[in-house]
Amino acid sequence: MRKFFPVEDLARDERFNQATNEERMADPRGTSNTGVIRKARSTNRLTPLRPDATDAARSLMHGIMVGEIQALEGAGRTCFDFVTGEEAPFALKLDMARQCWDEARHVEISVKLSEWMGTELGQFIENTVLFAAACSQDPVLRLAGVNRALEGLAIDVFTTMKEFGELAGDPYLAFCEDWMLADEVTHVKMGSVWLRKITENDPERRKKALEFQSVVDKIFSYGGLRSESDESPILLARRFRELAGFSDGELTEIADVSLAALNERREAVEKTLASSPA
Amino acid sequence: MTVTVEPSIFKIVKYDSKEIAGVAQEMLKLLGMESTNLLIDVDETVAMSRVTTTLSDPVHILVMSSAFENLKKPMTFSIDNAKFSLGRGLLRIRDRQSGNFADAPTDEDLSVVESAVWETYCVGRLSRLGLKVHKQRWQYNFRNRHGFKDAVDKQFEKIWEADGLTWSQLSEISQHALA
Repeated sequence: MRKFFPVEDLARDERFNQATNEERMADPRGTSNTGVIRKARSTNRLTPLRPDATDAARSLMHGIMVGEIQALEGAGRTCFDFVTGEEAPFALKLDMARQCWDEARHVEISVKLSEWMGTELGQFIENTVLFAAACSQDPVLRLAGVNRALEGLAIDVFTTMKEFGELAGDPYLAFCEDWMLADEVTHVKMGSVWLRKITENDPERRKKALEFQSVVDKIFSYGGLRSESDESPILLARRFRELAGFSDGELTEIADVSLAALNERREAVEKTLASSPA
Repeated sequence: MTVTVEPSIFKIVKYDSKEIAGVAQEMLKLLGMESTNLLIDVDETVAMSRVTTTLSDPVHILVMSSAFENLKKPMTFSIDNAKFSLGRGLLRIRDRQSGNFADAPTDEDLSVVESAVWETYCVGRLSRLGLKVHKQRWQYNFRNRHGFKDAVDKQFEKIWEADGLTWSQLSEISQHALA
C-alpha cells in the first residue's frame, strides 16, 4: 500500500468538488461585518438571530462533514505511514486508530445532521486544507498541525454549533455536537501529550512542531472565521481548549493569531469594496 | 417586459449579465408577470445569498452574489440557483402587486420569522411550478424560526401546500406555530 498520500489524490465520488485553501482565500468577496452585510446582520457570530443563520449553519455543517472525512483519512495515514517503534511509538498509533474510529462515527453523525438540516452531500465545495496539514513527513508535525491546530478548531466549531442548536431548540444538533465535542477534546489532548512526550529531549523538533502549529492555526483562522471578536462566526472556546491541554499562553497566542487574520481579511474586503463601483 | 442587469460587466464573479437577464425573463413568463419591468442589481462584492425586492417601476431586485452562485464552484454562475433566487423574489413582488400583502413590511423590515414564513409560501409554490427544491432545507429554516415540534411541522405543511394566501392569513398561521 502506498505511503504518504498526496492531497490531490483523495478519493471522492462525483458529488464532491474540492478546492485548496489558496483557491478559497482568493475569493475577495466579503462575508464579514462590513458595508452592506452590516445592514443585514447585527453580528457575525453564528446564532439563530442572524437572518442567514439557517444557510450558514448548513454550510458549516457540510464543512464539518468533509472535515471529518479528511480527519479520518489523516489519522489513518499516520497509523500506516510511519515505521512502528522507529518513527512512531505503537501507543501513538493505537491512539490514532482510536481516533479513526471516532472520526468514522463523526462522519456518519455529520452526514445524518446534514440531511436533517436539508443539505445534499457535496452541495458545497470541499476545502482540502485539513488533509493538507496531515501530509507532513514528521509525525510530530502532524500531531501539532492536525491534533492541536485542527482538532482545536473543531472544539471551537462544535461549541458554536452546540450553542446554536440549544438556542434554536434543535435537540439533535445540540446533542450530537456535544458528544462529538467530547471526542475532539480527547483528540487534542492526545496531540498535546504525544507532542510533549516525543520531543521531550529534542527541543529543536518541538520548536519546529509548535511553529508549524502556529502556521496551521493562522490558516485555519480562515481570515477571521474563528476569534474572540463578534465579527467572527466561530468563538474561540477557551474552557474546552484548557481541558484539552492548551496553556493560557498558548490560548493567548491563538487568540492573537486569529485576530490578526481577521484584521487582514477586513482590510482586504474594505479594499475590494473601495475599488468596486458605487 | 424590460430587464436590466447591473453591472453589465462583472469584475469579481464570473457572471454574464445577458444570461441573468435571460433567466429573469424566463421566470417572469413562468410566474405570469410578463408586464413587469425589472432592474436587477447584483452586488458582487458580497458572498451572501440575500435577495431584497422593492415594488416600483421597474421593480428593483438587489441580489447579493451568492444567490446566483454555483456553490460547488465558487464565483461561477448557477442557472438553477438564479432561477430559484429570482423566483422567490418575484413571487414576493407578485404577492405585493395582488394587494393581498399591502400590510406586509418591506423586504428590508421583515423579521426573521416573517421572512421564514413567506419564504416557505414562495418555495412551496415554486416546487409546484417544477423548480428543483429541497423541501427539508425550508422545513429546517421554518423550524429554526418557530420551534422543533410536530405542531410546527403541521403549520409548515399548511403553508407549503397553499396558494392564494393573504399576508394576514400567513401571519396567523405563523402565530399558531409559535404558540
